[in-house]
Amino acid sequence: MSKTISVEEVCRVEGHGGITVAIQNGEVKEVKFNIFEGARFFEPLMRGRPYDEIASLTCRICAICSFGHTIASLQATEDAFGVKVSPQTQKLRDLMMQAEMIESHALHVFCLVLPDLLGYPSAIHMAAEHREAVVMGLGLKKIGNTLREVLGGRAIHPCNAVVGGFGRLPSAEALASLQDPLKKALDDSMKAVDLLASLDNPDYAKSPTLYAALDSRGGIYGYFGEEVIVSNGQRLDIRQYRKLTNETTVPHSHAKHSLFSGKPYMTGALARLILNQEKLSGLAVEAQKRLRLQLPSDNIFDNNLAQMVELVFSLERSRQIIAELLREGMREEPLPPIKPRAGEGVGAVEVPRGTLYHRYLYDDQGRILEADVITPTAQNLANAEKDFRAAAGRFAADPVDSLAFKLEMIARAYDPCISCSVHLIYL
Amino acid sequence: MSKPKVGIYGLTGCAGDQLAILNLEDELLEVAEAIQIIDFPMAMSGNDEKSPLDIAFVEGSVVNSHDRDYLKKIRQRASLLVAIGTCAVWGGVPALANEIPREELKQKVYGPVGKAFDSIPAQPLSSFVKVDYSIPGCPMEKRQFLQGVASLLHGDLPLLPTYAVCMECKRKENICLLQHRNQLCLGPITVAGCDALCPSHAIPCQGCRGPVEEANVASEVNLFREKGYTVEDIRKRLRAFAAPAEAIQSIVGKE
Repeated sequence: MSKTISVEEVCRVEGHGGITVAIQNGEVKEVKFNIFEGARFFEPLMRGRPYDEIASLTCRICAICSFGHTIASLQATEDAFGVKVSPQTQKLRDLMMQAEMIESHALHVFCLVLPDLLGYPSAIHMAAEHREAVVMGLGLKKIGNTLREVLGGRAIHPCNAVVGGFGRLPSAEALASLQDPLKKALDDSMKAVDLLASLDNPDYAKSPTLYAALDSRGGIYGYFGEEVIVSNGQRLDIRQYRKLTNETTVPHSHAKHSLFSGKPYMTGALARLILNQEKLSGLAVEAQKRLRLQLPSDNIFDNNLAQMVELVFSLERSRQIIAELLREGMREEPLPPIKPRAGEGVGAVEVPRGTLYHRYLYDDQGRILEADVITPTAQNLANAEKDFRAAAGRFAADPVDSLAFKLEMIARAYDPCISCSVHLIYL
Repeated sequence: MSKPKVGIYGLTGCAGDQLAILNLEDELLEVAEAIQIIDFPMAMSGNDEKSPLDIAFVEGSVVNSHDRDYLKKIRQRASLLVAIGTCAVWGGVPALANEIPREELKQKVYGPVGKAFDSIPAQPLSSFVKVDYSIPGCPMEKRQFLQGVASLLHGDLPLLPTYAVCMECKRKENICLLQHRNQLCLGPITVAGCDALCPSHAIPCQGCRGPVEEANVASEVNLFREKGYTVEDIRKRLRAFAAPAEAIQSIVGKE
């Protein structure tokens, strides 16, 4: 007996992708995460463009991770030209990434995942009976966006972050005015933790997984670092990212697949938490305990819980960073000198869905000769197929609809950003 | 009158305009009560993919035959079709690669496997279907979406600014980046609506909202040339977000 499970389009995810699984006599024959999101050829279209417009174009790869793309891009350019940014700029960038985590994780956990766990087609439908939870989720999302507006000038596609620093320094008053709303959001986030902890967390795809994440800087849990840790014990300088992400083209996907030493791996909140566990601090530790999130874990659904832990962490950490900035006093600083030179630069940052890499090769006029962008979703595709296979094997006897729904939920647990994944390396 | 049936769609793009709708944290639940969102794959499952729609909001540009066919299906179902965001209105950033032959792009990016991939030059929705109303922006401003919905609910087509970013910028008394700092600022030829966001952050306008009606692109180009910019730099800046727009193509060409 054979059957094919086909999810034409996975809903409640960013972008366009489908799933096909073929089962024959209870055995899984074929598994495909079909990525039919259109190709935009971002990297080739960067060629010849001057350095000062690269970040504002590459951030258009993805709206949800537009702050992450901006920062990875700026770092790659600064690396190529040997530009060092000030500690204040670095703190503000750190805050930008905390804000992106808050907004993106709140969107994913409340609008995309909770409807599955509570049995609704969307957060809007869910509001009929769980209005308080939806309003709380939207409130958490909003504080992330407000912070993004204050820092980036705009919640999506920030215009204010430039090579070397900022167009206009965010005002101390604006940052100070966020401290109370952030405190309220932090209290709300702990209520959200209790809500999530009260629901069953599925484990349909439990199977051994390799993880990769940046080793967060300065002994503090966070989203910046110079080295990648892999859960098999290996470490790589971010400049060697290709050894990790090493991509292959597959016919059923406009996004390439990543394999490390021939194995798929997972990057994202769960990977970060597993690999930087000892650095987690504050209320997030309590959140993890209440969510009963035991690490390491081989259950991709724990990524939803890990995002919740990071949501708590980033709210609390944002308050600390703002307090530090205010205590030190915000200073208008001239941009560091920027002298374009020929050469290569790499930037890496942890974005909501995992590690993002930008690499540029510049000519001596500061124009792009070659660009390469590796997104977390592209890295996760092969691992998602591994998980589809595991679930299809375990639930091979399920009715087609029920198995299809499980596969969709697995896809959503990765919080895939499919637009991002179709990034198209320029060889 | 029963609540209007609404669909919200993304073709190929960054999802920023759909996200702008989801970013209406204070208004989303109210909006969802005033209209009936029956098809919104990015935010909902169990979508109604067949019923007629009173309004379809579509973001993204058309970059393959899947996008084109999907768009035509949406058009057939919808009384009003609204293009949201610069990709849908003007083709957006992906249209920058239009001047490179598809075969070359596919070969470079995917190697031999790429040959079979479906890809056409990025085009705005209006190249394929009738568009009733356009809200440009990268992303669109969420308040303009709200104004749009409010007007459409009252049976009106909403009004959007028909003047340039430059006007908004002057009103804010910003230092002129073009005149005083000799920067490549597209404020004079870009349609307003963002409250001169970038120049207010001392960043020159990159034209992400597309050209204003009757934009005098030729005189802007002359001004940049007088300031010492090369034709190539001016071309690149002008084409970044709206390369397929007639106002821009007629001056800096298709190549």
